[in-house]
Amino acid sequence: MTAAPQDSERPQNTRAIMTFLREHSPFSNMDDAHLAHFAEHASLRFYADDDVVLSPEDGPVKRFYIVKQGRIRGERSRDKDGETETTFEISQGECFPLAALIGERPTRTLHRASGDTFCLSIEHDTFVMLFSQSDPFRDFCLRGVSSLLDQVNQRIQSGAMASIGGSSSLDTPLERYAIRNPIVCSPDLPVRKAVARMHENNVGSIVITDDERHPTGIFTLRDLRTMVAEEKGPLDTPIGQVMTKNPCCLTAEADAFEAAMLMAEHHFAHICVVDDENRLIGMVSERDLFSLQRVDLVNLARTIGTASHLRTLVSLRTNVSRLVDAMLAHGADSGQVVKIITTLNDVTVRRVLELNIKKNDPGIPFTWLTFGSEGRQEQTLLTDQDNGILFETPEGMTEDQVREKLLPFANTVNKELAECGFTLCKGNIMASNPKLCLSGREWDDWFIRFIDASTPQNLVYSSIFLDMRAVFGPTEPLDALLDKVLARIRKNALFQKMLAGNAITRKPPLTMFRNFRYAPDGKKHNLDLKRQGLAPFVEAVRVFALANGVGEANTLERMRKLADKGVFDPKDANAWQEAYSLIQAIRMRAHQEMLERDEPLSNYINPDDLNPLDRRILRESFRQAQRLQQKLEVTYQL
Amino acid sequence: MLEQIKDWIERLRAGSTGGPDREHLPTPKTAGHQRLSDCRLIVLDLETTGLNAAKDEVIAIGAVAIHKNAIAMGDQFDLILRRPELDISETVLIHGIGPEALTRGHETEDALLHLLEWMNGDPILAYHSAFDQKFLEKALKNTLGYTQPHTWIDVAEMLPAFFPDAKTGGRGLDNWADFFGLEVSARHHAAADALATAELTLAVINRAHKNDVATLQDLNDKLKYYRRLQNMHRPG
Repeated sequence: MTAAPQDSERPQNTRAIMTFLREHSPFSNMDDAHLAHFAEHASLRFYADDDVVLSPEDGPVKRFYIVKQGRIRGERSRDKDGETETTFEISQGECFPLAALIGERPTRTLHRASGDTFCLSIEHDTFVMLFSQSDPFRDFCLRGVSSLLDQVNQRIQSGAMASIGGSSSLDTPLERYAIRNPIVCSPDLPVRKAVARMHENNVGSIVITDDERHPTGIFTLRDLRTMVAEEKGPLDTPIGQVMTKNPCCLTAEADAFEAAMLMAEHHFAHICVVDDENRLIGMVSERDLFSLQRVDLVNLARTIGTASHLRTLVSLRTNVSRLVDAMLAHGADSGQVVKIITTLNDVTVRRVLELNIKKNDPGIPFTWLTFGSEGRQEQTLLTDQDNGILFETPEGMTEDQVREKLLPFANTVNKELAECGFTLCKGNIMASNPKLCLSGREWDDWFIRFIDASTPQNLVYSSIFLDMRAVFGPTEPLDALLDKVLARIRKNALFQKMLAGNAITRKPPLTMFRNFRYAPDGKKHNLDLKRQGLAPFVEAVRVFALANGVGEANTLERMRKLADKGVFDPKDANAWQEAYSLIQAIRMRAHQEMLERDEPLSNYINPDDLNPLDRRILRESFRQAQRLQQKLEVTYQL
Repeated sequence: MLEQIKDWIERLRAGSTGGPDREHLPTPKTAGHQRLSDCRLIVLDLETTGLNAAKDEVIAIGAVAIHKNAIAMGDQFDLILRRPELDISETVLIHGIGPEALTRGHETEDALLHLLEWMNGDPILAYHSAFDQKFLEKALKNTLGYTQPHTWIDVAEMLPAFFPDAKTGGRGLDNWADFFGLEVSARHHAAADALATAELTLAVINRAHKNDVATLQDLNDKLKYYRRLQNMHRPG
């Protein structure tokens, strides 16, 4: 029945429903004709507080709902005690039940109204029609909220892009960059001839291969410079004697990001691209990757890694934040960016250590350990020091004597790192603490006590000491230690259970009455993205990783490994990785904005400042954290 | 819906003079043992040229239907009547229907016939229904000679009867809409007001079920009782 005055127009109420739909994703991306079809076929229902909207007993789901006003909460009863708990909340503009409707099965969750609630719904045939005809709608139904993640990521990028300019994604596979047919030679070729060949081809490097075209070394113009300057030998020396052996290799499927990380970490400017049998097929240089992008990650890493004074290091740290902006602009996701920050932090830590060894070598071989977020390679711009020393006791010395030499050294390093922007650890978890400067045997004893005496304090420390990594020095002593620690934890079900119990104490900030639960220790309207958002993932994943012998400390890596081992369902692992990355991305964007405003960095954000899409996705991410905690509860019968 | 009305007009024209249609108009249903959860209820709102039923006229009709506890958006009525001769200067500021819209409106006779057919004799609910009843009955009588009485129920009366403790700060549609947090898309647009009234009716029906008010008869009894209670409390 169309109103006469505007014949072509739709009835007022249909138009009003379309206006409402347009304010919410995915409807905001749908065609008007599809929205009109939705509006004309919708019916509106009312549910009073606590009314059941959908129940597992109703049989296969027949309708698709969207909350017009009010809230719906999902309830499930826990297997162990039959108590009901709220598993999710759906508020205005959100849809349900997607999985059950698409799977043509009953819902597994009781949907109940929270307060006076109106829902619009469409019947199955209308749903099917829209599903088949509207791409944004289908995409949303199939991928759920994760389809909206792309929109957020795009916005984060375009925001950062605006200040940088240029485009080109770091996800691009290396084969697109790689120079085909790189210049090669055999190891017996004299340097003079090799350099002549480089000159003829106007390239800066040559790859030395064996008979099967496996790269065995690389020689660059920089090597030539060093060779001449340091008089390492005559120019007719066979190149095999002066080349850099075991060059960095990646397969063609690896992306530009991996190559950039490898270059930044090892200060190489060239990487060999090889096939599955390690035969050379191409070559990628730093210039190839970054000439268009002006992202000077490799250069920055090299400058940090070769700085000769602490002063220089301190000044270089300001470039890191600029780089993060650039990285976000070039399509690095939050996982990539935290790795970049961690890599640059590692380079800085290494350089501080090297400079101090040069000045005042304690003369004892040691491994510099990092714990916590740095151990997990999950550092953002806001970071403090969590480090320790693992040393080998030389013959004829006691461990205390070693400490006497190492502690003053560590003390200086801690102080200098603080000057570089790594805040001193308030809990004194630093290498200069005699309790954290230990021999392999002492560390092992320390972990035995840690695991056996699961005191509340120890559980607090678990987030620090069970995520560790070697940043400097030999890695073998740490590997040996980790093997023992992991084996012990795998055997100790009680310790696992206590860790699990500890991991679920921090609930994601979702409650049944409000959209967000605000940080208990923060300001009224503030949400702590690190403690309330990321920590539930980090802690739950750690328990699963330790219990299943996953040695990695990085949370995303751990999730991948756990999916590989079949501990996590691949779909779950994927959803959790996405959710975790998203919270991290929002946190990093907030940090960049604080830097721009010259404010001190903090992990608090005001959810009211977020746009509705971010808010909704953040809430969905917290819901995923809740699911992960539920898995922990089921596994450990908490 | 556009198709539906076109079909209907076609049928009307094909059926020659319209005489037979007038004879087969639906008979209004009385409030008996129909279950609230099953029967179809019309929720209606009129815009008029003024408040005096003796001299003012209906210029817009908006209505939705409630069936099985839901408002189906495909089952609604949203028409402006063709009344170029009417003086609307008094109310044009309220409902926003100017002379131009009125000249393009539907022939009143067609529109009212269509309305009767669409309502199908079902009970009519409205906010302060006495007003709408007077205007609609007058229009039906004058235009079509139709005098059969529909069952009318006042939503303004149902709400306080079922939500006696609600602090609404007033008895108007706006007060109750605010109380339930409704967003009325275009206040004083007949169809939008009808929808808001219907949304409030859904809340009433929900509450009625919980109070064992299951049928139209039960509802009438409840309202009678409420009226008596109100009268007792009245001074004098």
